[in-house]
Amino acid sequence: MSLAHINIFLAFTVSLVGLLMYRSHLMSSLLCLEGMMLSLFVMATMVVLNTHFTLASMMPIILLVFAACERALGLSLLVMVSNTYGVDHVQNLNLLQC
Amino acid sequence: MNMFSSLMLASLSVLTLPIMSSILNTHKNSTYPHHVKNIISYAFITSLVPTMMFIHSGQETIISNWHWMTIQTLKLSLSFKLDYFSMIFVPVALFVTWSIMEFSLWYMHSDPYITRFFKYLLTFLITMMILVTANNLFQLFIGWEGVGIMSFLLIGWWYGRTDANTAALQAILYNRIGDIGFIMAMAWFLFNTNTWDLQQIFMLDPNLTNLPLLGLLLAATGKSAQFGLHPWLPSAMEGPTPVSALLHSSTMVVAGVFLLIRFHPLMENNKTIQSLTLCLGAITTLFTAICALTQNDIKKIIAFSTSSQLGLMIVTIGINQPYLAFLHICTHAFFKAMLFMCSGSIIHSLNDEQDIRKMGGLFNAMPFTTTSLIIGSLALTGMPFLTGFYSKDLIIETANTSYTNAWALLMTLIATSLTAVYSTRIIFFALLGQPRFLPLTTINENNPFLINSIKRLLIGSIFAGFFISNNIYPTTIPEMTMPIYMKLTALTVTILGFTLALELSLITHNLKLEHPTNMFKFSNLLGYYPTIMHRLPPLANLSMSQKSASLLLDSIWLENILPKSISQFQMKTSILISTQKGQIKLYFLSFLITLTLSMLLFNLHE
Repeated sequence: MSLAHINIFLAFTVSLVGLLMYRSHLMSSLLCLEGMMLSLFVMATMVVLNTHFTLASMMPIILLVFAACERALGLSLLVMVSNTYGVDHVQNLNLLQC
Repeated sequence: MNMFSSLMLASLSVLTLPIMSSILNTHKNSTYPHHVKNIISYAFITSLVPTMMFIHSGQETIISNWHWMTIQTLKLSLSFKLDYFSMIFVPVALFVTWSIMEFSLWYMHSDPYITRFFKYLLTFLITMMILVTANNLFQLFIGWEGVGIMSFLLIGWWYGRTDANTAALQAILYNRIGDIGFIMAMAWFLFNTNTWDLQQIFMLDPNLTNLPLLGLLLAATGKSAQFGLHPWLPSAMEGPTPVSALLHSSTMVVAGVFLLIRFHPLMENNKTIQSLTLCLGAITTLFTAICALTQNDIKKIIAFSTSSQLGLMIVTIGINQPYLAFLHICTHAFFKAMLFMCSGSIIHSLNDEQDIRKMGGLFNAMPFTTTSLIIGSLALTGMPFLTGFYSKDLIIETANTSYTNAWALLMTLIATSLTAVYSTRIIFFALLGQPRFLPLTTINENNPFLINSIKRLLIGSIFAGFFISNNIYPTTIPEMTMPIYMKLTALTVTILGFTLALELSLITHNLKLEHPTNMFKFSNLLGYYPTIMHRLPPLANLSMSQKSASLLLDSIWLENILPKSISQFQMKTSILISTQKGQIKLYFLSFLITLTLSMLLFNLHE
C-alpha cells in the first residue's frame, strides 16, 4: 500500500481507538466518530479519483449525508443526557430509565 | 230533508265560538268561564238531536266539506264521519266536559289565569272532537297531535313546579313514540291503498295488514298508556284535577282505543294482531292494578285505575269485540270523571292534601262527596245494574266464553278483583275511620257548582249504562247462554276482592308498621319500570353516541392506533428485555480488544 493509504488508515484506526477508549465525556467519543467518518470520506474519494471509477463517485457524497444524520442523532442523545444531568459524564449512564 | 248533518256541524262549530272571541278580546272579562260552560251545554243539547235521529233510523253520514289539496293521486279534504262511534261518543264527551267545566269553576276559582285554563280545556275538546269525527287519517292525526299538545299545556299548568314540567315532557315523549307507529301506518296506507280515507281502506281490504296494524297498536300503546309506554299517565296527575278528570280519564287516553276501534274491519281479519292486543291489554291491566295497590296519592290510584280499565278495553278489542270496548269507553267516562271530581273535592277541602294516609273520617264530614265516591267505585268495579255493569260484565262474560288465551283471561280476572281491592282501599283510607288530617279544617262542599256537576255525573253513573244499552242498535250479539259459574265470574271475583280488602284493612289497621317487603316495594315503585327506563337507556344512548362521535374518530384513530401505541410498546419492551447496566466504557473496551485480537489472529496466521 502506498504511504497515503497508510496515513488515512492510521487516522481511521486512531479515531477508532479514541471512540472505544475514552475517559469521562461522551462528547469525545462522538468527536472520534466524526473523525472516523472524515477519514473514510477521504479514503473513498482518493480511491475513486485515482482509479477513475466515475460511477462510484456518488458514494462519498452519500456517506457524508448519512454521517450528517447520524451526527444529529448522536447530538440529540447527548442533549437528552445533558438535560438530565447537566454534564455528559459517562458514569451517569448507569440508570436505564424510560 | 232532515237536519242531521246541519245540527251536528252546528254543534261542533259552536264549540269554536269562544276561541274566536279571544280575537275580539272579550275573553278578558270574568264571565268568560261561565260563557264557555254554557256554550258546551248548548253544544251538548244540540248534539243530542242528531244522536237521537241516528238511534231512531240508524243513518250514518259522511260530511265532506272542503277539498283541501290533491297531491298526485291523493285527495285530502275536510270530512266528518258521523257513524255509530262518533254519534254516541260526542254527546257523552260533551256531557262529561260540561260537568267538568262546571266543576273547574269551583276548583280553579282562585286561579288568576282561569280564563286561559278554560280556553285550553275548550281547545282540547275541539281537537278531541276532530279526532273522533275524522274520516281520514290526516284529520285524525291533526286531532291526535292536538290532544297531545293540549295535554302538555294542561299538565304543566303549574309550571313553576319542576315535577309538573317533567311530567308534561314525559307525556309528550311517550306520545311521540306512539306517533311513530301512527305515521308508519299512514305511510303504509298511502303506499298500498293510495288513500287516507277510511272508506277506501276498508273497501280495498288489503291482505297483509300486519305492519300498519302494528303501527296503530304502537300508537294506541303510546296514547292510551299501555304497558311499555305507561309511566306518563300517573305522572300526569301533576296537572290540576279537572285536567285529570277530562284528559286522563275520559277523553284523551281513550283516543288510542278509539283508533283501534275505528280500524276494526281490518283487525277482525288479522289473528296475530288480535293476539298481540289481547296480551298487551292483559299485561297492562294486571300490572297497573298491582301498582295501584300500594300508592299513597289518591289521584295516582285513580290514574292507575284508569290505566287498568284502558287495558281492559284493549283486551276487549283483542277478543274481537270493538262495540263492547266502545260501550266501555262511554260508560267509563262517567264514573271515572266523577271519581276524579270527588277526589278533587276532597283535596280542596283538606287544603290540598293528596295523601290518603292523611285523610280519614270524611264519611260524616262530607256526605255528598262520600256518596258519589262510593257509587263511583261501585260502578267502576261492575256492581250489577249500575253503569259499569253493562259494559264490564259483558266484557268478562264474552272473554270467558270465547276461544281465547287462557293466561290473558286469568290476568284479566285477577285485575278485576284487584280493582275491587284498591277501590276499597280508597274508601277505607279516605272516608272511614277517625280523621287523620289537621284539626283546622276548611271542609266545605256547599258550592252549587260542585254539587250540580257531581250530581249530574252521579245520575249518569247510575243510569247511563242502562240508558245507552237500551238505545243502541244491535251490533255483535253477546253470548246469551253460558254455565252459571261463568255468568257469575265477574261478580264473584269482585266480591272476593271487596271482602279481602276490607278484612285486611280492618285487621292490619292498628298493627305496627313493618319494613316494606319486596312485593310492596315492587308495587309501590311502579314495578321499577320508570326507575330503570328513565335512567338506563338514555345514559347508554348518550354515552355510546359520545364515545363514537368524539372518542372513536379523534382520539382512537388519529392518536392512539399508531403513534401512541408504538411509543408505549417500545418503552415496555425495552424495559422488559434490557439487561444492561450502562457500563459503556467496559463495552467499548471489550469491543476494541476483540477487534484487535481478531485482526492479529487473522493477519498473523499465514
